[in-house]
Amino acid sequence: MKMKAIIGLALTSTLALTACSSGGDDDTTATAGAGAASCAPSSGPVTLSFTSWIPGIEDVVKVWNAKNPNIQVKVQTGPNGNGGTYQNFFNQLKAGNAPDLGQIEYDALPSFRVQDGLTNLAGCKPVSDAKDQFIDWTWNQVSFGEKDAVYGVPQDSGPMALFYRKDLFEKAGIPVPTTWEEYAADAVKVKAAGGYITNFSQSDINQFAGLAWQAGGHWFSNDGSKWTVNFQDEATTKVANYWQDLITKKLVSAVPPWTTEWDSAYNKGQAWTWVSAVWGANSISSGAPDTSGKWAVAPMPQWTAGGKTAGNWGGSSTAVFKGSKHPYEASQFAIWLNTSEEALTLLNEKANLYPATKTGGSLAALSKGVDFYGGQKIYDIFAQAATEVTPDFTWGPTMTSTYATASDGFKAAVSGSGTLGDALKKAQTSTIDNLKSQSIPVAE
Amino acid sequence: MTRKKPVTAILFFVLPFGLLFIAFYLAPIGYAIKQSLYKVTRTGTFGPAHEVFGGFEQYQRVFQNGPFWESIGRVLLFGVVQVPVMLGLALLLALLLDSGLVKGRAFFRLAFFVPYAVPGVVAAIMWGFLYSPNLSPFTAVTKTWDLLSADLVLWAMANVVTWVYVGYNMLIIYSALLAIPQEVYEAARLDGAGPVRTAWSIKIPLVMPAIVLTTVFSIIGTLQLLAEPQVFRTFSSAVSSTYTPNLTVYSTSSIPNFNLAAAFSVVLALATCLLSFAFLKVTQRGDDK
Repeated sequence: MKMKAIIGLALTSTLALTACSSGGDDDTTATAGAGAASCAPSSGPVTLSFTSWIPGIEDVVKVWNAKNPNIQVKVQTGPNGNGGTYQNFFNQLKAGNAPDLGQIEYDALPSFRVQDGLTNLAGCKPVSDAKDQFIDWTWNQVSFGEKDAVYGVPQDSGPMALFYRKDLFEKAGIPVPTTWEEYAADAVKVKAAGGYITNFSQSDINQFAGLAWQAGGHWFSNDGSKWTVNFQDEATTKVANYWQDLITKKLVSAVPPWTTEWDSAYNKGQAWTWVSAVWGANSISSGAPDTSGKWAVAPMPQWTAGGKTAGNWGGSSTAVFKGSKHPYEASQFAIWLNTSEEALTLLNEKANLYPATKTGGSLAALSKGVDFYGGQKIYDIFAQAATEVTPDFTWGPTMTSTYATASDGFKAAVSGSGTLGDALKKAQTSTIDNLKSQSIPVAE
Repeated sequence: MTRKKPVTAILFFVLPFGLLFIAFYLAPIGYAIKQSLYKVTRTGTFGPAHEVFGGFEQYQRVFQNGPFWESIGRVLLFGVVQVPVMLGLALLLALLLDSGLVKGRAFFRLAFFVPYAVPGVVAAIMWGFLYSPNLSPFTAVTKTWDLLSADLVLWAMANVVTWVYVGYNMLIIYSALLAIPQEVYEAARLDGAGPVRTAWSIKIPLVMPAIVLTTVFSIIGTLQLLAEPQVFRTFSSAVSSTYTPNLTVYSTSSIPNFNLAAAFSVVLALATCLLSFAFLKVTQRGDDK
């Protein structure tokens, strides 16, 4: 009896670990789709599944469904990509039941491509016809700079700017910083006035990447046969040292981001600025509703006075997963979602998305003043920033784990053990290890 | 005199369990073991992946992985402190309920059990709010001690786990107490034993099997901590992506590196099995004396 009980125990403990990993191999579908997939229209009515975490996406899809009775899209929402949806996608791909379409940020596209999870849409007419409509660098992100390769339809971009509490800056008589040097100097004054210049995010490594991107950093490169990983180039080190200095001097707060506590810190006016992307406009208005009318947007502080460079944080594509039976219809929907005026206007109204199309910037919705920002025409600032983003930033194929390790180190740094520089060094080592453990060639 | 075994009847009763057992226990375990013995190969930076047999290569990575073994050490430390505290409390509460000193027994029995009915994630979020300096209603406490700091967060989580499981364990021990025949108590009373003496010399020894059982469950639960640290990651800077062994498994599978994650799982399962087995062995030796 005892032995049986023990075996039972052993099995019980394994169950929890293994329950999620069952599912069939999809080797057969994987090999069939190499190169540009054949992309023919299906006959008869089609139902597509689509997973996305854009606030209000259901309402946008409703408009499509009303107009296209033969191509019905079922939308499913979830947490943001690194918050769990990517993990679901990977699991679904492994199990062979991924949705037809999914939202994937540019930084995660290489991860999905390396796992052979995406359909190459280069052979899909709706996509190849629309190529010229997209801003060059966003197209570069989905095509990896290759011919006959399109692994997603660009949706939005995340040009960065400085969100700041106009009322507090005016009251304290502090001018809005235009350079990082001024920003650091202002941090001291803001601290004296009882606030923090900003909240340093310990887990938004992609935000930090945007800051490094602005300074001219390059984290990954891929020469076709090997990856190169470098989180310690001159520009990135400069940015890391800059923020480490603010952390050490306790001039920035370090509330864990995207928590109720974080919202409350902004809502109570503890943090005066946020260097964030255009979609951050929505995060502030929904997270800190009491501060309506008190915010304004200015261009990102510069490393050299009078400079004109911006970073980018986020931006998504709509990708078609491997195994979708209707790539043609799926790409029709993806193109409508990301180029049509009605969809782009709705996406901007619901989620402050900034389109990835060349003409997107002239949408009527984008030329209006935004009440939450005191009626400022904030999109003018972002339109300018969008043209100042350098186009050649490459993402690696295991960003989820790179972010996780870097964030472990950033968390340690804000709690006073180690520095941001240490964290980046460690993240680089572990990223290289990860690539090797998956037989992805990497230069040492 | 030998009777024919009712084979059909046995099959009838065993089959449903057997099928579910195979489908939901044996098959997944087998699949995990199989996955853990494979590795991925590819050509070029974006070449398609092929799974090939890799022997114990993933296990070699597991044993070379420092953070994983650190996390095992961390949950063991957690268990050494939290399990005795929790079970001590559970035993005390069970004895109090059983002693007749408490009025409204049914009410307290339910009240202690209610936290267990709260889903673990919800409990963790609730306590996370209570601990957060900016949100907590108990600012006097959170201002003096940062309960989410590297020094304290492990024990802050121990408090959550204790809060959730004390009532559950109490109930198991309490039902064992109810099963003790009244004659034993009568005999003890005749021998002049008071309530404390009865509790110490009669009740505790007789509910020992229940205590052993709850300890084994607790050891398993401790090694597999996931929900609490996963939730606390968002609240605290001190909880890393490899804070507990199961978090390591989770992070590894979201790379996604399913083969390595499977190897981590198998090693963790073996470690759990080994510890539970060792604990049973030790307590059994006590019985033989």
